[in-house]
Amino acid sequence: MTVLVASVNSGIDIELSFNEALKNVGVSPEIAHLLWIPFPMGLVLIAAVIGVLVTVWLERKISAAAQQRIGPEYAGALGILQPMADGLKLLTKEDIIPARADGLLFTLGPILVLVPVILSWLIVPFGQSLLISNVGIGIFLWIALSSIQPIGLLMSGYASNNKYSLLGGLRAAAQSISYEIPLALAVLAVVMMSNSLSTVDIVEQQNGLGLLSWNVWRQPVGFVIFWICALAECERLPFDLPEAEEELVAGYQTEYAGMKFALFYLGSYINLVLSALLVSVLYLGGWGFPIPIEWFASWTGQSIDAPLIQIFTASVGIIMTVIKAYLLVFLAILLRWTTPRVRIDQLLDLGWKFLLPISLVNLLVTAALKIAFPIAFGG
Amino acid sequence: MLSFFKKVTEYAKDAVGAANYLAQGLAVTFDHMRRRPITVQYPYEKLIPSERYRGRIHYEFDKCIACEVCVRVCPINLPVVDWVMNKETKKKELRNYSIDFGACIFCGNCVEYCPTNCLSMTEEYELAAFDRHSLNYDNVALGRLPTSVTTDPSVKPLRELAYLPEGCMDPHDIPQDKSRAGKLPLEVLELMNSEDNSNQKDEKENQTVFIKDKSEE
Repeated sequence: MTVLVASVNSGIDIELSFNEALKNVGVSPEIAHLLWIPFPMGLVLIAAVIGVLVTVWLERKISAAAQQRIGPEYAGALGILQPMADGLKLLTKEDIIPARADGLLFTLGPILVLVPVILSWLIVPFGQSLLISNVGIGIFLWIALSSIQPIGLLMSGYASNNKYSLLGGLRAAAQSISYEIPLALAVLAVVMMSNSLSTVDIVEQQNGLGLLSWNVWRQPVGFVIFWICALAECERLPFDLPEAEEELVAGYQTEYAGMKFALFYLGSYINLVLSALLVSVLYLGGWGFPIPIEWFASWTGQSIDAPLIQIFTASVGIIMTVIKAYLLVFLAILLRWTTPRVRIDQLLDLGWKFLLPISLVNLLVTAALKIAFPIAFGG
Repeated sequence: MLSFFKKVTEYAKDAVGAANYLAQGLAVTFDHMRRRPITVQYPYEKLIPSERYRGRIHYEFDKCIACEVCVRVCPINLPVVDWVMNKETKKKELRNYSIDFGACIFCGNCVEYCPTNCLSMTEEYELAAFDRHSLNYDNVALGRLPTSVTTDPSVKPLRELAYLPEGCMDPHDIPQDKSRAGKLPLEVLELMNSEDNSNQKDEKENQTVFIKDKSEE
């Protein structure tokens, strides 16, 4: 649970100094640890929510630009406060549970959608030790958590007692289940190359030669499959059948209002940011600068462990991760205004008949390449 | 075996083709990003309606002869003409006249056929109301003139696309005196008149030549 350490041996360890400070006051180490826990959690929650606010604003502004409009303009400079205003509006709206709906499932649904998404932020690294928890199963945890989501969607669709909601919920479940498999297989190929499920190891393994050693070059097919599946999992526009407003009103969200709707809204955008972050982690070198920072340090003759250099590396890492993620978000928004929505049969065709075999072939080819060229493919 | 490979290559070709089309589409959307907004910031800026804009109908009570032509040409017989026959003068006496703009489709037939020109179309299009019954305008409401976009001090009037100077696409910040592309109706009329004059001259000349020819014979 270290938050600002750049290397293992020495450097700035906020947790350690926090614990030391408390110990000096006379608090036992266990209680100090307990007191420490909320900080990284709160930090990630804030980061996720700010990420969502920025994404919502970007979505509206880029959509406007693509359609030659201006977009939000009056709420703050350039409408930057618009997502905040949206959120506040939803917060003050009446919380309605429709008559003859299942109150418990209706309330539980949005929570079950949002919680796994936020939990998945556990494994997103912004730097060598800039993540909440470097769990060994890392990326697998994310895949496992994301399969909880369809249950929540189905739950809310079923509990709403509305035909559109039910259809939307069923579609969401079908879509999530069919796109999870190629997604997992694409991740598996990356995992095979880096010999680890941990997100930190995956990024480490990509940063030997900077830009040239990113996984995109070794896994171009996997990258495309992962991105398509991630869009499908997020129910982004080419695959937004579960909410298809022309046919299903708003899908499983039809009966939701106020804060419960806001949870869905938040969940979908956090998921989008998370997917973009994970694409950058798995394929685009995560926090790595296109030219390794270590090289700069050796050129200038600085020690990589010097506190100032560490802070510099950490901030470059955060900025790089965010830039990569937001470029992908931009691509997702652009795709939204480029591609028409696929039909449900096309969606399932694409998932089962195209992405699944391709990702299997990709996995086999990766395995073969790993045996043939162990140096280039992480032997 | 060969047919299987053929299938695979065709499949791959399809996939590449689809990716190609997708890239083309993305290029189009991306290109739109650098274009300037063409929208008008509505409550603060408004487009100037064109000369023949078919907005809310204006009605002059005093001109009306209660002939009910407007009712007959209306697709749904909308105007309500409330008149009584004055037995002494043997003339129609108009009491009330009303049009329900909640039902009107602004086709302009009534305006077209009104024999006394008491109906006309204004440039008013902001007809939102809290109650649909308040859209049923009586002769007093029909007689009101709308606020012109150009004279409203709280509104910045903007010219429509067809009224912009040549080569100009953005209605913001164009000089007021710059005329629109093409000729104005007045200029067209002048041109037509001058052409007519020259034509007549030509005809006269031709005629004189013709007469001359005849006399020479």
